[in-house]
Amino acid sequence: MKTFEEKWTAWIDGELTGKELVEFEASLSDRAAAEAEKRAAHKLGVLLKAELKADTMANAEFFSHQLRERIDHEDTMPTRRDDRESSWWTIPRLFWSGATALALFLIVAIVATRHQDGGGQSDLTSQILQARVDPVVNPNATITVFEAKEDRVTVLWTEGLQSLPADYAAK
Amino acid sequence: MQTEATAAQPDVSELDLVKRCQEGQADAFDELVIRYRTRVFGMIYNMVHNEQDAWDLAQDSFVKAWKSIKRFRGQSSFYTWIYRIVMNVTIDSLRRKQIKGAGAEFDDSIQLKEIDPASKTVPKPDALPYESMQRSEIRAQIDQAISQLTPEHRAVILMKEIEDMQYHEIAEALGCSIGTVMSRLFYARKKLQALLKDVYENI
Repeated sequence: MKTFEEKWTAWIDGELTGKELVEFEASLSDRAAAEAEKRAAHKLGVLLKAELKADTMANAEFFSHQLRERIDHEDTMPTRRDDRESSWWTIPRLFWSGATALALFLIVAIVATRHQDGGGQSDLTSQILQARVDPVVNPNATITVFEAKEDRVTVLWTEGLQSLPADYAAK
Repeated sequence: MQTEATAAQPDVSELDLVKRCQEGQADAFDELVIRYRTRVFGMIYNMVHNEQDAWDLAQDSFVKAWKSIKRFRGQSSFYTWIYRIVMNVTIDSLRRKQIKGAGAEFDDSIQLKEIDPASKTVPKPDALPYESMQRSEIRAQIDQAISQLTPEHRAVILMKEIEDMQYHEIAEALGCSIGTVMSRLFYARKKLQALLKDVYENI
């Protein structure tokens, strides 16, 4: 649905035809005034065209020359940008490098934490476990370790132990 | 549509020139510039009423066109496409000036101060087309009247009355609907008719 302004403009420019034209003209309350305004609009158009139409351009060659120089200059600018863009540190690569570094850090941190936890085991456990694997000294010995890390308590349950290792007292 | 080079090289189609531009051939773009520079400059001048600005904005428009010519798909005519760039550049400039100048945009005294006398953009020694022209009182009245329109209304009335563009071409150039074009044309005409009644009635 065209607004009145749109219909009026189309009517001024001779773009209204057929039924639309008949309906629009019938809707005009003062047909004579509307026709006068239409003529005025045409006069305005003629005036604008006569006064504002650009037929020639002085220094046109200089305009083109200056433009060519600007374009040549602008064309070299993107090349420099391309150089920067083509460097190794693109945004995706930066992202993946960061993610990889973070992952490596986490792995190292977890391993280090676990290593620290393992280090919390007493020297005694270490010694007896070593002793257990000596079949000559304690062929039937079994050793069970119960450890409550939060309470910092380790219980060593031994069975079939014939003797303590000779170097136990030294520790 | 009469252009500068049409008579000289009627056999070179605009589409061929555009394709060559898209392949990076600057000489083809030169040809397009030759065809449109006068109309583009004239249109911008009628919008901004300042030769220095019109020159710079026309240059900016063509540089933008060169940079984005690869994106031109031929869905509209080249001149509609370039007019879209021209209008974006010019209307943006007018809006910036309106913000800066707060309504003093076409105050002659201010304009003269704003123009750098040592500016090298436009060659000064020779007479320039519009500044050297003995501007008639009529022309001055028209410029004054147009300067009272909004940038969008100026664009619409100039493209319609000076360039004889169709509604849909103006709509494409301005990136708006045909209805908006017709509505703007209605108000622009009404205002200019009121402001220039004495002029066109006495011709």
